[in-house]
This record gives sequence, structure tokens and C-alpha cells, in this order.
Amino acid sequence: MSKIISKLLISIGALTAATSVSFAQTTAIMNARVHTVSGDVIENGDVIITNARIADIGANLTAPAGATVIDGEGKVVTPGIVAPYSSLGLKEINLDAEANDASAGFGQSFVLGAALDSMDAYNPDSILIPVNRAGGVTRALSAPIGGDKVFSGQAAVIDLSGSVNSVTRPRAVQIAAYGYAGAARAGDTRMGAMALLREYLDEARSYAANPNDYVRRPREERFALSDLKALGAVISGAQPLMISANSGSDIRRVIELQRRYGLRVIIVGGREAWRVAPALVRANIPVILDPMHNLPDRFESLSSTLENAGRLADAGVEIGFYDPQGGGAHNLHLLTQQAGNAVANGLAYDDAIAALTLHPARMLGLGDQLGSLEVGKIADVVVWDGDPLELSSQAEAVFINGVRQSLENRQTKLLQRYRDISRGELPHAYRGGE
Amino acid sequence: MRRTIAAASAAILFTACANERAVQDDADVVSDIETAQESATDGNTVETGKNIDKSDGPVRPPLDPFPSTYERYAHPNVALTGATILTATGKRIDNGTVVLVDGRIAAIGAGDAVAVPEGAQVVDVSGKWITPGVIDNHSHLGDYPSPSTASTADGNEATSPNTAQVWAEHSVWPQDAGFTRALAGGITTLQILPGSANLFGGRAVTLKNVPARTVQDMKFPNAPYGMKMACGENPKRVYGDKGGPGTRMGNFAGYRAAWIEATAYKKKWEDYWEAYDAWATNDEDEAAPEAPTRDLKLETLAGVLSGDILVNMHCYRADEMVQVLDLAEEFGYRVTAFHHAIEAYKIADYLAASEVCASVWADWWGFKLEAFDAITENAALVHEQDGGCTIIHSDSDIGIQRLNQEASKAMAAGQRIGLDITPEVAISWITANPAKALGILDETGTLEVGKAGDVVVWNADPFSVYAQAEQVFIDGALLYDRNEPSRSPRVDFELGQRGNEFTGGAGQ
Repeated sequence: MSKIISKLLISIGALTAATSVSFAQTTAIMNARVHTVSGDVIENGDVIITNARIADIGANLTAPAGATVIDGEGKVVTPGIVAPYSSLGLKEINLDAEANDASAGFGQSFVLGAALDSMDAYNPDSILIPVNRAGGVTRALSAPIGGDKVFSGQAAVIDLSGSVNSVTRPRAVQIAAYGYAGAARAGDTRMGAMALLREYLDEARSYAANPNDYVRRPREERFALSDLKALGAVISGAQPLMISANSGSDIRRVIELQRRYGLRVIIVGGREAWRVAPALVRANIPVILDPMHNLPDRFESLSSTLENAGRLADAGVEIGFYDPQGGGAHNLHLLTQQAGNAVANGLAYDDAIAALTLHPARMLGLGDQLGSLEVGKIADVVVWDGDPLELSSQAEAVFINGVRQSLENRQTKLLQRYRDISRGELPHAYRGGE
Repeated sequence: MRRTIAAASAAILFTACANERAVQDDADVVSDIETAQESATDGNTVETGKNIDKSDGPVRPPLDPFPSTYERYAHPNVALTGATILTATGKRIDNGTVVLVDGRIAAIGAGDAVAVPEGAQVVDVSGKWITPGVIDNHSHLGDYPSPSTASTADGNEATSPNTAQVWAEHSVWPQDAGFTRALAGGITTLQILPGSANLFGGRAVTLKNVPARTVQDMKFPNAPYGMKMACGENPKRVYGDKGGPGTRMGNFAGYRAAWIEATAYKKKWEDYWEAYDAWATNDEDEAAPEAPTRDLKLETLAGVLSGDILVNMHCYRADEMVQVLDLAEEFGYRVTAFHHAIEAYKIADYLAASEVCASVWADWWGFKLEAFDAITENAALVHEQDGGCTIIHSDSDIGIQRLNQEASKAMAAGQRIGLDITPEVAISWITANPAKALGILDETGTLEVGKAGDVVVWNADPFSVYAQAEQVFIDGALLYDRNEPSRSPRVDFELGQRGNEFTGGAGQ
């Protein structure tokens, strides 16, 4: 059922995107190094995009008549970058309360958690979106993060077109916290965090079994009905539960939680995940991690290592990346740098590309539509001027839903304005605003 | 003579560090005093007044109460051959050789032009790259160490807007694993600053990145002290509801009031030494002049006014930086570097004219409104100015591990807008320029004969994301070797932690 609904939503999204451009718009990217991700790398490969989807892919194709042709000589083509954990669209500035809706304030005892829906705060006009888009990011999870409850709320998958139709899937994921972050919201102990997680899931299950009966029974006020309603999708397995956990022992407890309730679980953080890699593989749990973290900065990350990503991938764990610095929204385009560092520390190159594209798309339940270059898939495509993981490389062309995107953003306009700082005939306020 | 004594005495008081010049002054003053006493005495007596013994001077504030005890570690002389060398003096040497003898750079040049001294280890590093040791002029390692707990959060004395009296070194925990991770990233020298909660955060200290039992064992010999100041949002956020400052105008009023006080304090001590000097050399039976009471806060500020302590100013916004330049002009001190300087590109001409460095990230932004206008071309546009001084800093225990990558992104951004910024130039953003801003360029920061053997061997072009520091030498001692576990430090805190034994120490 949930799969049908999600496919429907995707089709609607793609249709909307398709109707926003002139019909039968075709782009042919010719003669590039093509990372399909799901299949082999195609040297001198061609990618044909018609409307919102990939129409053809291979070597020695002929550009369809009337197609816009991009010469891919010396270029690299990949699927668009998917950021599986961010608060993009929910904030402009971390330390500005009015410009940050990413979380219910910590310590403010706001009454709701799981019920929070990032759709209610998502702003497609965020200036962060074009900045990240220029770096090749095409889809992201827009997630409520933090707050006082162990459940932070429901996250949406968005595309980075910035259009009013840019929501790929609302309420795609429920966010929760365990480990130190969870303990801080639950009596300052992991016991409290896990007990609360179980209580909420038990109550949600009880509510879902018979809502009419549940509301007539005497119940504890601390369980808001809207939270329990929202958790129904987690209990049913329709929504993955994306839960933060770092230490090996914390991750083991999350695996136990998954087993007990039959949940779909994604670990975020996972500093010591490499230590429990076989168990993660058995439980089919992916991990979203920061591959540049290597400090014993918490007691839950004493064996954090730069080799985490490589060891997990080698063991067969599906991984994605997130950037914990700067609030996890402003510089999602640096996920490629993180991937490069993971490669330098043992991650296979192809696994790194997959960790930026297909694996996060799968985690978000969109692997059948996004994340790889295959005929029929949605055309989120990036043309890079070199190795996409290399620091000197840049995205030259970015397609979302088959539509070539502007790479202009507030930062390029600031540059334009101040490239020449001489006094000029008029003040700087008259320059670079077009 | 008297003037010399007074001036040099002031240097003793106001210079708690022993930079080269201060050491020279100190040596001068000792000999001057001895000379004065000798010339004033007659035969074996020590009397200078008729009935008063003036031979015992006042108790002098110690020149350097927490002196560096750093000693370089022994290592055989070594010749690194066959590498691509970026000297950070603007030169690139292909197939080059660097020779380290007794901890110093003894020779550097093209392979066929450098003679390898007898007995030196010859290490073939063909295909690899060599740069000077990387220097970070903005770190909080040791003050905000791993593990990060309430017990170890020692970086911000956020109890008063002016805490110029605190010294960052007194918070440095040498057992911070972050030092070892930074070492694996090629960091050989770093400045530890107090945080930015306060208008005046306190003294900064420059360290050799050598694992040690004490911070004194890490202190960079003869490096001048720094002082941390902060603009903008942080002080007013911290003190807005604690008595102020609550506004940017409050910040400036706070700076100015403190400099007025410091100016008076400096004068008071100079007057005292002048009076003392007059007393010591006359033959009147007067009581000695009374020394003013020491004030650690004002002592540091007066050290800035004397030019002995270097100002590191946390400042984001263009307009604020230019106001700070006027502030410095008003009180006769210099700002050495603006730190963070997100908007430096808007006023790069002012910075170049004032010879102030901009110490920046490549692309961090948006964590607060004053950091909203970041562009990746910032570093390159500061550099582009005639006399512009770009530094790439970290302010992060993660970022400090790859300043080469941050410099690389900033360089690439500059190249994309047509600026001619080569690797041999950009390397200076993380070596020579921070060394200059820390007052230690004579000692380190470039690969030149006679300088310290602070050297990094990279396994690839250091501006590549795949490059890793393979060997790190500090004063000629190999203190990190990626391929040799016995040359990979592990701090006390890491010992005996399960799971940690497989991570590989600093190289993890």
C-alpha cells in the first residue's frame, strides 16, 4: 500500500516537473565518462534526457534530432547528489531564531515531537538551495532535527529546483535520537531514551490497533495523540525511523529495537558503526555518517576512525554521508569532499559514488526512481568538469527532473558585486543585483 | 643609559614572552644594570647612596613565568630526495632534495644540485610532495579537547567582557587526541586562542605540535604572545543580559574604555621605572619609589600597546573590520590578523593598506547572520590585493586535519575567476603567512636553509583530496609516519579503550 502511494507521489512530482517545461524537451550529453552507479562506468558514454526522465544511455548513441547537445568530452557524468540527512529548507541561519525552524527549541519543553512535519516549515525559496544546487546536490532530506522529544518529527524528501513543486515525498522519514543526544532528552540517561522510544512505539501500536477504543480509555497526558498518529507510519513500516546512535553498544540496542518492533531503521552518526558492521548487515540497516570524523570527542565515539566508511562498505553495509558542521544544511555540496576523504582512507571509489547517490536514494525509499542513471529513471544528472570528488572540480550542468538548472546563487551575486572593489561611479549597492 | 634601562624594563614588564627582540632587550638590560651598578660602586662596597644600599632593585615581574621547555627530539640527519617541493617562498622544485641536519634545513634544491652529507639517511620520496610544516593560527585544541565534556570545556572565560588576564596555555590539556590527529594532517605549529565570547578573550599561545607531558614542553620557543579580541555578535549575545555590552556600539565602548585604562597603566609603569632609574643612580638618601600594583589584565593590554603581543581579532563583517582599524589607530596598536573575516573580500583594499592578514575558512558560512555573506573566492580576493595576506585557518579539531584541502578549494575558486594562483603560492596560505602572523617566520613557515626542519612529505599533490601526510618532521625529528605504527602517537586518554586499538593512533 505504502509503496503504491509513494510511486503515485513520485509520478505526480515528475508529471508536474514535465509540464513545467515545453513538451518533448530533449538533452543529449555526449561522449562523457558516465557513472551509471547501478551498472558499469561507461567511457565515452552518452546520456539522453527526454522531459523528466532518462530516455537512453550507452556508448555511441546518436543525439536525437532537435536535442540540446552538451559536449561531454573530458567531463564526468553522475546522478545528482542525494543528501540523506539535512535540514535544508528549514533554516537560513542557525543562530537566528526567526530564520531557523529546523527544530523545536531544546529545553523549551514543546509538547509535540513525532507529529512535527517538515512540510509545515519547508521554504523552497531558501537561498541555501541554489548554493547547494550549484555544487551538484539535487535531492535532500529536509529533516526536523533535535528538540526535547526523543522523536523529532517527520522529514520530507525535496528536490533542489526551488520550485513550489519541489517536494518529492512528504513525511518520508521519522527522525529520532538515541545515544547521548537521546539521553539528553530523557532524564540524562540512555535508559530513559530507550524506555521512551519503546513507550511511544507501544502506545502508537495500541492507538493504531483501535483508535476509537484508545481515545476512550484513560491515558497519560504526556502522549499527544498527534504524535501517536504520526508514529503509525513507523509502526507499520511505511516510514523508516532515522535514529542517531554512535557507540557500538548504542547501535546494538537500536538493532534490538528494530527487531522487537519490526521497524525500518537507518542509523545516523554511527561513529563506531564499523565495530558492529556484521550485525548491521544482518539487520539490513544502513548508516549515514561523517567520514571525516576521527576523534574520541565523546565517550560514545572513542573508536571513531577515518576508515569507518570503507570498513562498513567492505562489510556490505549501505552508507550515505552527512555533514555535522554548520548545521547540516549550508554546505551539502561538500559531501563530495567527504567522499573523497573516505576514498583516501580505504573506501572503494565506486562505493563512494554510490554513497552520494544510489544508496541514500534507496534509504529514502526512492531507489527505484532516483540515484542511478538508468533508462526510465528520473533525470537528476550532473555534468562535472573533472573527478566529482576532487577539490578543484565543479558541477558544470545540473539537471533536476530533466530540467537544466541555473547555477547562479546569492554567493555568485556577491562575487559579481565585489569582484571589483574600486569606488566606481556609483556605490556597490548598484552593482551585481540583476 | 637611563632611557635604555627604562625602556628595557618596560619591555620586561610588558613582555611575558621572550621573542627574539625581547630576549635581546633582556640581555641588554641585565648588562646595563650590571654596568650601572659597577660604575656606581667604588671598590668593594655596594653603596650608591650616602646611607642607603641601593644595590637591590625592586622585585621585577618575571619575564616569562611559564617558560618553554621544548627540546627537539633527536633524529639522524636525513636527505629526502626526488620529491616535488613547494617551498612556500613562491618556488616549486621538481625532483628536489631537502637535507635536514641537526634539526635544521641544511640544503634544499634540485636533486643534482644538492650534496647529501656523509652519514645522512637518504630517503627516496620520488613521486611524493614536500611542503613546510602546516601552521594553523586559529585552534582551540587542548582548550576544547577530546573528550568534549563540561570537565574539559576550558576555552571561554565567559565571566566578563574583558578577560585579558587569562592565558590560553593555562587551559591547554596536552592529552587532547586532537593534537595527534592534527599532526597526521601535517600540522607542526599552531596557535591556541581563547574563545570569542569576550571583547578581550585573553592571551593566545603558540605551540609546537609535539606530544608532551606539559604545555611548557610544547611552547614554541621565543614566539611572541597573541591576544584574542572579538567583534560583533558573540560578545553582545553572551553579555546582552549580563550587564553588557548588548550592542555593537557597546562593544566599541568596551574596547575603548579598556585601551584608555591600559594606556594609563603603561604610562604609570614607565614613569615608575624612570623614577626608579633616577633614584638608583643618584646619591640622595631618599626612599625608593613605590612600584605600582601589577594588574594582569592591563599588563597584557599594555603589552599590545608596546607591540610585544600580537592582536588576533575575531571579526566577520567588513564594516566592523574597518572600524577596528580606526580603533587600533586611535590607541596606537596593530591588528595582526582578522580571524574568520567572512567579508574580507569587500574591504580587501583596506586590509592590504593596513598590512593586516585575513585568516579565513574556504567555505564555512551561515551559522549566524554576520557569517551570511561568505564566498569561496574570499581568500583569493584578499590575496589578489597588492600586499594582501591570506591565511587559511581551521577553528576546528576536524578542519585542522586538512588545511591543505581548504586551501585547495580556495585556490580553485580563485583560478575559476581568472586569478593566477598557483600551488606554490597557495601553499603559503597555510605555512608562511600564518608564520608571519605569529611572528615566527624567521624560524619556520618556509623551506629555506637555516630554518627549522618542519617538513611534511605528502603521498600526492597536497591540493588533492586524496593526498595524505605520510611523514611529518618537527625540528628534523620524524614524529609521524603513516606507514610506521611506532611513529604514530596515541594520547593517554586513548589507552586501554576497547575498540580504539584498531584505529591506528594519529593516523586513523
